Amino acid sequence: MRGFLTPKGLIGAAIVIIVLAIAVFAPLIIPDKLATAMDMRARLSGPTLAHPFGTDQLGRDLFYRVMLGARTSVLIAGSAVLMSIVIGLPLGIVSGYYGGVIDNVLMRLVDTLLSFPALLLALTISAVLGPNLTNTIIAIGIAFTPFLARIIRGEALRVAQMPYVEAARAAGTTDAMMIVRHILPNIMPAIIVQGTISLAFAILAEAGLSFLGLGTQPPDASWGLMIQASRDYLDVAPWTALVPGAAVALTVLGLNMFGDVLRDVLDPRTTS
Amino acid sequence: MTDPIVTLDRLRVTFGAGDATVTAVKDVSFSIAPGETVCVVGESGSGKSVTSLSLMRLVEFGGGSIVDGRLTLMRPDGAVDLAQADTATMRGIRGHDIGMIFQEPMTSLNPVFTIERQLTDGLRLHLGLSAAAARDRALALLKEVRIPEPERRLKQYPHELSGGMRQRVVIAIAMACAPRLLIADEPTTALDVTIQAEILALINRLKREKGMAVMFITHDMAVVAQIADRVVVMYRGDVVEEGPVADIFANPKADYTKALLAAVPRLGEMRGKPAPEPLRLVGDDRAPQPLTPAANPEPLLEVNHLTTYFPVRGGPLRRHIANIHAVEDVSFTLNKGETLSLVGESGCGKSSCGRSILRLVEPASGSVILDRKDVLDQNPRDLRRLRRDMQMIFQDPFASLNPYMRLSAQVAEPLRNFGLAAGSELTDRVAALFDRVDLPRSYLRRFPHELSGGQRQRVAIARALAVNPKLIIADEAVSALDVSVQAQVLNLMMELQADLGLSFLFISHDMAVVERVSHHVAVMYLGRIVEIGPRAAIFENPQHAYTRTLLRAVPIADPGTRKLDSDLSFTPIPSPMHDLTYRPAPSTYDTVAPGHLVLRENA
Amino acid sequence: MAYLINRLLSVALTLFLISVITFAVTNILPGDVAMMIMGTQSNPEALAGLRESLGLNDPQIVQYGRWIGGILTGDWGTSLVFKEPIGPLIAQKVTASALIVVMSMTIALVCAIPLGVWAAVHRDRWQDGTASTAALIGVSLPDFFWGIMLILLFARGLGWLPSSGFVHPADDFTLAVRHAFLPSLALGLGLMAHLTRMTRATMTGILGQEFIRVARAKGLSERTVVWRYGLANAIGPVLTVAGLQVGYLFGSIIVVESLFNYTGMGWLTYQALLNRDIPLIQGSVFVIAAVVMLANLAVDLLYTLIDPRIRLA
Repeated sequence: MRGFLTPKGLIGAAIVIIVLAIAVFAPLIIPDKLATAMDMRARLSGPTLAHPFGTDQLGRDLFYRVMLGARTSVLIAGSAVLMSIVIGLPLGIVSGYYGGVIDNVLMRLVDTLLSFPALLLALTISAVLGPNLTNTIIAIGIAFTPFLARIIRGEALRVAQMPYVEAARAAGTTDAMMIVRHILPNIMPAIIVQGTISLAFAILAEAGLSFLGLGTQPPDASWGLMIQASRDYLDVAPWTALVPGAAVALTVLGLNMFGDVLRDVLDPRTTS
Repeated sequence: MTDPIVTLDRLRVTFGAGDATVTAVKDVSFSIAPGETVCVVGESGSGKSVTSLSLMRLVEFGGGSIVDGRLTLMRPDGAVDLAQADTATMRGIRGHDIGMIFQEPMTSLNPVFTIERQLTDGLRLHLGLSAAAARDRALALLKEVRIPEPERRLKQYPHELSGGMRQRVVIAIAMACAPRLLIADEPTTALDVTIQAEILALINRLKREKGMAVMFITHDMAVVAQIADRVVVMYRGDVVEEGPVADIFANPKADYTKALLAAVPRLGEMRGKPAPEPLRLVGDDRAPQPLTPAANPEPLLEVNHLTTYFPVRGGPLRRHIANIHAVEDVSFTLNKGETLSLVGESGCGKSSCGRSILRLVEPASGSVILDRKDVLDQNPRDLRRLRRDMQMIFQDPFASLNPYMRLSAQVAEPLRNFGLAAGSELTDRVAALFDRVDLPRSYLRRFPHELSGGQRQRVAIARALAVNPKLIIADEAVSALDVSVQAQVLNLMMELQADLGLSFLFISHDMAVVERVSHHVAVMYLGRIVEIGPRAAIFENPQHAYTRTLLRAVPIADPGTRKLDSDLSFTPIPSPMHDLTYRPAPSTYDTVAPGHLVLRENA
Repeated sequence: MAYLINRLLSVALTLFLISVITFAVTNILPGDVAMMIMGTQSNPEALAGLRESLGLNDPQIVQYGRWIGGILTGDWGTSLVFKEPIGPLIAQKVTASALIVVMSMTIALVCAIPLGVWAAVHRDRWQDGTASTAALIGVSLPDFFWGIMLILLFARGLGWLPSSGFVHPADDFTLAVRHAFLPSLALGLGLMAHLTRMTRATMTGILGQEFIRVARAKGLSERTVVWRYGLANAIGPVLTVAGLQVGYLFGSIIVVESLFNYTGMGWLTYQALLNRDIPLIQGSVFVIAAVVMLANLAVDLLYTLIDPRIRLA
């Protein structure tokens, strides 16, 4: 646990906690009116006392909109990663623990799916299903599943070959109990680490999808959407891109730092 | 006596900084003369390797620093203090004045460079040889370390060579510039016993021929007895005793040396004893109770024609293209309350045989009769029930316990699986099992990482004992332990056998340990039992050529019985992989004496 | 030889699976091609007629067979948006993307390998701290953020490079590279950060190995030990990871090419997705997945040249 007391661990944990808190509480505290109020006299205004992060092309306050965008990002990324773990976990464990033909077929499929860039897969699914919040979650969730299934399968295979699993089998442990008592607890650290890193990627993917107009749709606030909207005003109001961009970057940085430290703490086999 | 080549004077080495500073070597002084082999012996954590790395100043790359002491090396142009030498001086000394051999031949060579390149770069650097001259010298070196087909080896990559050959290459690299001091850090620990004998003989010959000084680091007292002129015994960073090898063995002064020597089983010391006998350990006043031989031995386990193949798959559809013949037509009987040892070198099939009996791997054919039931005929449910009668202990005490489960839960697991106990009865039985293996009850709530290797192995034994099995298969169960811990665990196993009437199938590569614990011994080679019989018959009247080879190769922990006078070379073991059409001949045996069978060759 | 045949069979099988997945993903559409062509307000009877003539009422497997047959015989269909045959359209755009993918990969590898080795050599000291922190920030910035920063700095601010458009290398090579430079950099910076972390991790592991100690014990200089003995072993794993990142690059080009109006594969795919141009989506997705798979195959084969342990057995 000492790993969390390093600067990296502290900063990472602080960022993750702050973003989570904003995602949960900002919509409760900030009145809707403030975030959607269009101040036509202060369109594309730079940072001022009234608007600390400036305003967008419709005169909406960027500070409030960035706060509200946190919820969209966290909700979509969290749900998508959860979805990919829920699908990938049974696939990975069955493949890694039982092996044989099931493993061959499943992993052939997963390897093929990995040839599709995750962002392309997510964009295609989102475009096909019609972009909205739920479909964005589904799109990113499906796109990340092959990767997580691969990681979980590898871990399950490693654990299934450990002598303590053989000892348990010799001691009459059934397959179901073996998975619950021995396999799951021992692959959990890897899943937590990969889940954290996947969260960072999912935040990036959501921003990318929304930036391309195939993710979150207006009027929902989303960092990717804000950056897209800023493209026509880059010359006159660069902060309209920098503010949401920095929000994405900071969140992802926090998650990556947190993930690095988690890996050092939970998984001494890998040095990063 | 000639002047020493190297003198260590009050060496002190620490790791880390500030509060986290650990002193690995406290105050070590000794010297080594030309033509002399000094063995530095100790268990893990004694600081013996750190001492050798300090001489090469390689300890700094591992985060250590020499904080005090002098390391005087005599060079032709005068003495150098290695502790103070600058980087350029040290580079000129490494590989030139001092050569070094390491423990792991499998990882000591760079996998992506040819043998030639790895042999010649030191020569070109230190001696300024041309490429052609360096190549000639490399070839001469390979001949000197007696590698077969040396010309071909130069062009090969490390993975194309066996472990023994790689260690010969590593020695050739260390010897390349004719160093005045050779440091060998556990050079034979990772090798099979026949290869170990070859490498020891080689180092011994090179020392004699070149008049080098040799600093030999080892944990193995038997190896010390074979190769040392003088011995330095280290314990927790200090030298506890130093002296000529004969004195150390005949008349040890330090308590630690006495304890260490008492814990070492010596091949041949069981001669004339009717039954296995626990080791007499220092600090343990109980006189060892020899096991009483059973009056009417009854068979517990009968293995007949057991055969196990591992499929080799290849191609895009992972087709079955070949078989590894791991266990080939193996038959034996193990009696109630007795120990049968399966002994052999790595890859001989002894572990696969043990696992086949438990059906942790599926045998191809044969029968395994445990108490009149054939293990191989059982459906999954009956097999699970039958496994109550046979349990297993594994080699690696760090991998055989689930790191995320409390020790009490791991020992309780078999009891819960079979519904043998619940609630407070379960708690009581687990506590009693901890008592049985001499572990304090306070360990019940602990996790594996809080225990030492020996303590973990006791937990593994407790887990195996939980369901009151009749048979325990111990697969290299003491191989990973330090010698004093190994002796304690061996004694515990023998005590359990005497008290509970357990039968052990004892799988090991260590002939001296096998001689200690066995009633019967089976020697395995290439998947088959080549010789089986009562312990005394195998050790005192070996008939099969391979059994004799093994016994000849085993180092004896007695400096009076040296075996390294001539170069040794044993036939390498062929591959057990065959294509699908291969049909091996059955094993047929000649009976030498009642119960003593020898495999008939070319049958 | 047997190895090569096996390898080719495996490639064929994977390509087949890629085509099945591509077809399956694009055919879960609620709408269909007929609706796309005629619009949602069209006459239901005419729509039904068009469906029949396009074969959309056939079972899925028959439709798949027709599509893959077309792919194999070179008839990839016509784009609904561009009204052009898809095959030549994709062929032209792939070369444009290849230019920025190769440029970004080159930029990333050339910088990442020395930086990662340098960090590993100075492990846990300030050099490592600086390089690792920079790399961590690098992998955390989205590509489009890099893109916007580069546009602001080099195009708008300094005016050194164009921020938009594509020029074919055959027409004017220098101009083509100038146009490709900023998109390549936007892709390459994140990749560089990732590969720096990978190189550092791999080298850290290798520098702890026994053969490195043996090399030092021979008296070799630290430079030889690290840059010859160490790097020779790290280069294989690092190139493998770089190969896997080709997939990541082909995802990122969709964002970056749109941002820079660079009309390559990413831009084309994006137009197809935005306009739900199903035949073009199918063609583009199939080609991108196939290219990614072949890139990984190429790296695998390259690895067999670097590492003697896995020479064609």
